[in-house]
Amino acid sequence: MLLSPEVLALLILNVIFFLFAIIAFILSVKIFLKWDLNSTSQAQYKLEKQSFLTATIIKYIFIIKVPLFLFFIFTLDKISGLLTGAMCAAGVVNATSYGTYLILLKILNLYLFAYWLALHNEDMKHEHQPYTKMKFGIFIAAFFLLMTEIILEGVMFKAIDIEKVVDCCGAIYSSSANSYISVIFRLKASLLLVLFYGNFLLIVIFYFLKKRYIFALSNAFFIIISLITLISFFGTYIYQLPTHHCPFCFLQKDYYYIGYFIYIFLFIGTFYGLLSGFLRTSEKEISKNYKIALLFNFLYVILLTSYPILFYIKNGVWL
Amino acid sequence: MKNKINIYLIEFAINAILRQKYKSLFVAVVFILLTFLLTSVFFITNSIKYELNSTVEALPEIIIQKTEAGRVQNIDVAEVDRILAVKGVSDAYARVWGYYYFENAGVNFSIVGVDKFENQYKNSLAKIVDRFDFGEADSPLMIIGKGVHESMKKNYYKEYFNFIKSDGTLKKVTIAGVFDGDTQLESNDMIVMSKETFREIFNMPQTKATDIVVKVANSSEIATVVSKLKLIYPNSSIITKESIKVSYQNIFNYKSGLFLALFIISLFTFFIVIYDKVSGLSSEEKREVGILKAIGWRVDDVLKEKFYEAAIISLFSYIVGVGLAMAFVYLFQAPILRDIFVGYSELKPSFELPFVFDIQTLFLVFFLSVPIYIAATIIPSWRVATLEADEVIR
Repeated sequence: MLLSPEVLALLILNVIFFLFAIIAFILSVKIFLKWDLNSTSQAQYKLEKQSFLTATIIKYIFIIKVPLFLFFIFTLDKISGLLTGAMCAAGVVNATSYGTYLILLKILNLYLFAYWLALHNEDMKHEHQPYTKMKFGIFIAAFFLLMTEIILEGVMFKAIDIEKVVDCCGAIYSSSANSYISVIFRLKASLLLVLFYGNFLLIVIFYFLKKRYIFALSNAFFIIISLITLISFFGTYIYQLPTHHCPFCFLQKDYYYIGYFIYIFLFIGTFYGLLSGFLRTSEKEISKNYKIALLFNFLYVILLTSYPILFYIKNGVWL
Repeated sequence: MKNKINIYLIEFAINAILRQKYKSLFVAVVFILLTFLLTSVFFITNSIKYELNSTVEALPEIIIQKTEAGRVQNIDVAEVDRILAVKGVSDAYARVWGYYYFENAGVNFSIVGVDKFENQYKNSLAKIVDRFDFGEADSPLMIIGKGVHESMKKNYYKEYFNFIKSDGTLKKVTIAGVFDGDTQLESNDMIVMSKETFREIFNMPQTKATDIVVKVANSSEIATVVSKLKLIYPNSSIITKESIKVSYQNIFNYKSGLFLALFIISLFTFFIVIYDKVSGLSSEEKREVGILKAIGWRVDDVLKEKFYEAAIISLFSYIVGVGLAMAFVYLFQAPILRDIFVGYSELKPSFELPFVFDIQTLFLVFFLSVPIYIAATIIPSWRVATLEADEVIR
């Protein structure tokens, strides 16, 4: 599996990330331990210079990582054609025991790195760079997650066995499957929908009330409830098939790559939502974050809601 | 959070690139060569894969070959009736085909025997049978592919061809016509003749056939039919269309993957060359940065400008490289490179690479070139950006 070109490309870039992340890590540790803005020593002066390198490296990794994540999903979809039984990325993710963790880790890292960047930008605006210690501390933690991700990715691609028969997404995300996923399907759709729209309503309310922490919290819940409703309810309308719940298939050409939009909207919306709670900035910045969060969450809700509505208009029944 | 793109900074970056003409030119040429080579290879594999896949589409769902001691043997024609009795099978044909080695040209012809009054298992064959006649047993005719025609002409067989039979005597077959297949890859080395002539040349008895192809009306029943056939013929090999497709995919993944694996060395060299080139600062560049910092540029601004430079050079070279590769592969049919993938056989390579536009290839090449270039410029740019103004201007 390692020799297919897409996988090799991912691995080559991972090696670059690996090398650069190590440089950034060593410098971060140094900065985290010895940073003292009031000092006028040679060492502090050198550290200040090195902080630029570290920041540039981290920025670089993040900027490449975002499109690379989409490419990763694309690659999984492509590989699925080679595995017996797999019809979309879900089969590949489930082909090895590492797949699910890898995806979760990748998403977590995306949020973390995006947060790091926001923190960095905020930091650079102030003369005294108040967040410098904190941001490099966060990177030290993020470094280990990144390393785990890189290693896990290599291990996963190595472990994929072309000969082995894997599950198709229809089996993995079916209500009869004996996995944690099937728990979702036992919940009533109406209850989930009330939660979903209720949660969105909360986001809107707290947008007007400007309660930072609750706004962020409701965004955090929104990620979870969105994914659950996407799998259990909205997905079936995208496929127009009551039994198909896969969260990967709509990334494919047959559904006009709509999945990429869905996930990008959700990511941007909730990220800015979370950011408003985690980052203390100027009033103007915060209200900008609020607006972006609300806009993209709104787009997400509109996009998903349109599927069942259009289905109902066309067919006159609900699934 | 978003930083606005600064147009003046871009203008400055472009001018900076133009100021260092030879250095930029060198970097761009290396970069273009790299993307050009990579993109060409992926375009070629994509096209060949497309050709092969359309050939596979025309293949029957299931092929049964009789094996004895691991070798493929001729199968009894009578088996067709047993297979037809299996539920789900819509049709079964006994195929008669083989390879004939033409020593003078050093090539293999694939010869297919057909019966005019039978149903054909392939549309392209049915068309040929409709159009041409195969003559009588004592004055047989054959229809040949374009590549076969060329190689026969070179050896002065313009109207007929003498096949050497297994007992050493000659069999003269007249060329009735030349055909174009649906795809070149499939038909280039093909000869179509009647089953009787085929059996005579290769000394194959009337009761035998090379293999049996099975058609299944409902494609979701293929797996079940295969397992039923496995019970009837436990020692035969049963090949399905799907398995052929997957193995093609694997072969090409393997080939281009192997190429890419070897290519890693080039990428690494590229990284080092760029690193070295960008690190080597002329005193003029140093002074430039010194002046910029003296008039108030921050480290971040210089870094950003350097990033714009790298992005402009790499995007420009990437686009030029991909464009050149497109012209090379699809206009000029990739003269030398495609031999790596097609092989040197005289009959095989004479097909046209069809235009297959795969956006994923572009992404793949992008990720293999642009990030690597930018990565190579990070540390040198940082070195430049943190130079001390007073030290360099002095």
